[in-house]
This record gives sequence, structure tokens and C-alpha cells, in this order.
Amino acid sequence: MTWLELSVEVDHEAVEAVSELLARYGYNGGVVVEPAWTPGDEGPEFTYDPARPSILRTYLPLNATTEETRQRIEQALWHLGQVRPIGPLQARTIAEEDWANAWKQFYHVLRVGERTVVVPSWLEHEPRPGDVVLHLDPGMAFGTGLHPTTQLCLRLLERYARPGLRALDLGTGSGILAIAAAKLGASPVLALDNDPVAVQVAAENIARNGVSQMVRALEGSLGAGSRMGHWLSGDFGEQDDRRGTQEEGRAALPSAEQRDDARLREPRSMPRFHLIAANLIARVLIILADDLAVALEPGGVLISSGIINTREDEVQAAFATAGLRQIERLVEGEWVALVHTR
Amino acid sequence: MAKKLVGIVKLQLPAGKATPAPPVGPALGQYGINIMGFVKEYNEKSASQAGSIVPVEITIFSDRSFTVRLLTPPAADLLRKAAGAQKGSGTPNRTSAGQITRAQLRQIAQQKMPDMNALDIEGAEKIIAGTARSMGIKIVE
Repeated sequence: MTWLELSVEVDHEAVEAVSELLARYGYNGGVVVEPAWTPGDEGPEFTYDPARPSILRTYLPLNATTEETRQRIEQALWHLGQVRPIGPLQARTIAEEDWANAWKQFYHVLRVGERTVVVPSWLEHEPRPGDVVLHLDPGMAFGTGLHPTTQLCLRLLERYARPGLRALDLGTGSGILAIAAAKLGASPVLALDNDPVAVQVAAENIARNGVSQMVRALEGSLGAGSRMGHWLSGDFGEQDDRRGTQEEGRAALPSAEQRDDARLREPRSMPRFHLIAANLIARVLIILADDLAVALEPGGVLISSGIINTREDEVQAAFATAGLRQIERLVEGEWVALVHTR
Repeated sequence: MAKKLVGIVKLQLPAGKATPAPPVGPALGQYGINIMGFVKEYNEKSASQAGSIVPVEITIFSDRSFTVRLLTPPAADLLRKAAGAQKGSGTPNRTSAGQITRAQLRQIAQQKMPDMNALDIEGAEKIIAGTARSMGIKIVE
């Protein structure tokens, strides 16, 4: 997909008014402000510099009406320019590849925990003895190992993943946690994600790490999660009956309710896991609490992460109600990871 | 060695609904931030304000780590609400979009104060008044 990037230089006082104008036309109402700033004497301190202009940007998908929209914005800016000085509207075309891969040049070999090493697939790395090496190209999926929520999970997996454990990685993203679990011995590992892009990326990473025998990536979720849109999309959290949970190629583990029924009839037909990693967000963890508890073998370990500290209490409460017992808690910055068993 | 600051970007986005599509992707991709990492953090922090535009300030460090801080709603949004106007005037030099009182102006300035580069409330009011003028919103006594 190709986009038109529009940018304009404005002075400090005009930033808000021009933002408002750009938000009216820009894709998803989004506006970027690059303010002028001056670094402090040391460390990450800075001050904004209102004497220098800010750059404002917005984006339009390139199609038949783009030029008309651009002209409208230009006209509106001319009117605003009668009130405050405003620079000319600049336009340039950008392709998705230009920015989707731009971050790669900053992605290096990363050590997490005591022996996990995340190696970007395009880099070479000489491992130390005992290292658990993950070769990763996260593409557009979540899970580079850079985010605190992922790092907390990797540290906990080092402690809890062992040979012989049947594992589930719920919301696998790049597949990073499923691959780490497999390299630490867990097998088989099921990697689920509601986002088909993530499933594809995860499958590629699984093959890249030579763990295809142990790890399987599928589109799907646990019971309540399979009726939920992906958390990135606008329909997040809404029930969507149009989307069947038993479509071909989709893994939908039954909900807690269905599973209880099924267990009565066929005690060993449903998979349960000794180890579950769920690096999601607080709201989704709360919705899935019952399903996670049911999917966990008695005595098994549930690692949950992506919990912002302000919502930890709600997650704790939901897990306790679901009959889960906390055995460990790790914190990094504003993010909390919990370990539960039942 | 202290981490070095390499960039500051502010984004105006719909709360809880950021995606890797523009403007997020191009704005942050150039700084080497993993885009999905930001999207996840922003949506989680802003989820409780769904339905509003919630601006966010991202500070980016030399090791490509970043901090995400939610800001107060845009002054333009607050002005529009105070004036009961649907949108700003497209031709602020000619047509008016509505009016607000001095007291309303002060209230907005107080709300926005934490995120503004103003030394005092008078300075903040002056900046908000400037925004109002560019939107075609008049300030009355």
C-alpha cells in the first residue's frame, strides 16, 4: 500500500489549531507532531523549545480522492496562515516497506534473563555454552524481546519450562515465547494467535529455529477469546457471531463451559497444558481467566504478562475467582508478570 | 553511561485503537522503535478513554527503548466542546465558529497546564487564546 505523507512547519502557538485541521482529513484521525527540543546537560533530560517551529505530519492512503483532499488541506492552511505564520504544505509518497522495515537496522543481539539470547535472523551470533538462542524476524508481529512484557516472560520461562511439559503460548505474535519454551525442552508446544499475520510470522520463525517438530502455530484462541476480535482491531471485545469458531484451519479450544460438558462425556479428549504463557493485556486476561484455568493441568504453571500495574488488582481478582493460586510475581517498570498454578 | 535521548514524537490517536498503519508506523519506524510494542502499550494505557482522541508523547533513547506518556486532550477539542462547535472554522480570518468566556478559557488553560511550555497560567491562557483565534472561536468577557 502506498501513502501520501503531508507535512507542514508551524510555530508553537499554531500547533494545536493545525493538528485539529489535519486530524479532520488524516487517516484514522492521526497526527504526528515533532516538537523542537533541546537535550539537557546529561542523561535523558530535555526541554521543549517554543522558539523554534514544530513539524506536523498526517497521512492519506493514495487513491482517486487523495489529491482533492490535499488541496482542501492546503486551502484551509492558507486561511489559517492569515492568522498565524504557517509554512508551505509538503507532500511525499511513501511505501509501506519504507517504514515497516526501518526499525530493523536498530535491532541487535539481545540477552534476556540468564541464558536466553534473541538474535535477529539477519545477524550472525556465536553462542556461549548453555545459551538458549532464538533466531527471530518479528516482522509486523509483536515480540522482539525488546518490550518489558516479553522480557518478563522469557525470564519466567527460563525458570519454569522443562523437558516433557505440554505447553501453550496464547497470543504468540512472533512466536518468540513458544520457541523459547521448545528450546528449553517443552514439547509439544501449541502457539495460538487471533491475527493471521502473526500466525504466518510465527510459523516462519518456528521453521527458522528448527523446532517445527515440537511447535505448531495456528490461528485461534481459547474459548472466550475465539469469539473476540484481535485486540488491535476496532471490534475488540465485541461478540462476533458471524465468525464461526470452527472454520477450517482455525483452532478453537472449547470454552470453559463447553469443556466441562465434554469432560463429563469424554474425560481425556481435551488437551490440557502443564505450562501456559499468555503475554496479552489485562482486559483479555480477565475475559479469559476461566478458560485459562480450565486449560491448565492441576499443578501446571500459568505465566501471564502484559499487565499494566494500574490493572493488576483486577487480573488478580479474576484469576482468584477462577481458582488460580499465585506463586510468583515479577515487575519491570509499569509492567507486571504473574505466575499462577491450580 | 546514561542513555542518550534521540527523539521525541507526539501523536494524536483515537484512544485504544492505534494500529501499525500510518501515522504510527512511519512516525516511529524511522526511529527504530518496534511498532507493535508501542501500539500495545498505547492501547492498554488509553483503553479507559475510548471514544476520545488521546495525544501521547514518546521519548526514544539511543538503545531504542522508549517511554510512552499520555497527554491531556488537545486544546482544540476542549475549545470545540466549550464553544459547542462541531469543528473549527475553515476560514478563521473570515467566519466565526463560536465563542467562549474568559472563565472557560482559564479552565481549559488550567487543564492543559501540565503539558504546556508555559511558565504560568497567564502564559498558558495566551497560547490557548491563540489556538481559539486560529479556529475562529472568539473569547468574550
